[in-house]
Amino acid sequence: MSQLERVQEELEALEAIFMDDISIIYNERGCVDLVKSVIFPSTANEVDKQYVCVTLEVKLPEDYPDSKPIIALKSPRGLDDSTIDHLHNEIQKKCDEYLGQPVIYELIELIRENLTESNLPTCQCAVCLYGFSDGDSFTKTQCFHYFHNYCLANHLIITGKHFKEEQEKLPAWKRSTKAFQATCPVCRDAIYCDVDELKTALPPRELDDAQKFEVTHDLKVLQQKMQQLFNYQKSKGGIIDIEAEENKLLLITNSNDSQVADDSVDPGPSLANNIAPPLSNGLQTRHQRHYSKYTSNR
Amino acid sequence: MAALPRRIIKETQRLMQEPVPGISAVPDESNARYFHVIVTGPEDSPFEGGLFKLELFLPEDYPMSAPKVRFITKIYHPNIDRLGRICLDILKEKWSPALQIRTVLLSIQALLSAPNPDDPLANDVAELWKENESEAIRNAKEWTRRYAMDN
Repeated sequence: MSQLERVQEELEALEAIFMDDISIIYNERGCVDLVKSVIFPSTANEVDKQYVCVTLEVKLPEDYPDSKPIIALKSPRGLDDSTIDHLHNEIQKKCDEYLGQPVIYELIELIRENLTESNLPTCQCAVCLYGFSDGDSFTKTQCFHYFHNYCLANHLIITGKHFKEEQEKLPAWKRSTKAFQATCPVCRDAIYCDVDELKTALPPRELDDAQKFEVTHDLKVLQQKMQQLFNYQKSKGGIIDIEAEENKLLLITNSNDSQVADDSVDPGPSLANNIAPPLSNGLQTRHQRHYSKYTSNR
Repeated sequence: MAALPRRIIKETQRLMQEPVPGISAVPDESNARYFHVIVTGPEDSPFEGGLFKLELFLPEDYPMSAPKVRFITKIYHPNIDRLGRICLDILKEKWSPALQIRTVLLSIQALLSAPNPDDPLANDVAELWKENESEAIRNAKEWTRRYAMDN
């Protein structure tokens, strides 16, 4: 059997097995250019339970199967880089093992097995920045983004509340006639979920193992550098003096000079002084006061 | 104070381990929700060469609500007012919990590269920016040189 016939036979077999799940793309000379298949984990055709997928692209060199095919994994969903790297290694091993024989069916099965084993998104939840552990309840959105149910419920409850508050601030004629539409935190596409069900979920498990926060030496060095820059800029009159600026807002003036704060007035929202704790506490309170000031002004 | 949420710890660690070029954010010694920030002025902008100090505070319900951010260093920019308040949609109605401290600060840095005088917060600056852009840019450069330099 010629090489061409062997390849033809392999492809016919693949089409018979995978039917619409595989596409074979021919080039203008009528030779096979690319074999392409989107692979999902085996979940007994329960599409809702397929949390990961990847597109396999196989290019066949002229002397295939005596030389290895060129493999690409594209559009991974729910898979992180290390999972993809692992899959690439497995694929190369399989190709070496099957050198001289048809390998595409073996590759598809290999990937499917791997996806079935790790049918749990290995990416992070964009809300809490932690991963998905066995036992966590999570949601795959219509746009293929993943969130712990606990995290997504929080997002939906708060955005729903904000929407209502904003509406209530508006006069009746300006209020939106549309009801609140939940959106995906990552891509802002509309999403449809049952908040009451989501909010019964427990917090993600990985949160328990997370490291504690410590002020390290490096952090202290950075804090000191920040303080030095602040002091230098302050000496140059470069630091905004909130109280002086607010007093100026009360005066009606067109003079450009008014934008340059007068340094002799109050020092403004300076940063917490690291050396003297009582003073730093005092300044901290000032910070908070300034925050409430400038946020309520918006 | 309630325990610091894990997400804040994780973001802080990542900011230290993989800092974003041109941006540094350091938590305060006495309040881990309060960050001291430096954003460098972007290249080819009137703010180039400047080191701008900002303060960033993570409210109680962060990341469900946006961080509160303000410039501390004086800056001449149509979307930043005299009190250092910033007009940026992701800090208000476009906030999403998928955004982070680093993405917020990158957006602020991008705002320095692309001032938008049609959505002003500092009216006098925005007017000049529209009427006489070259003079406005000259002012912005002068303020950067005068106020936002390191020694």
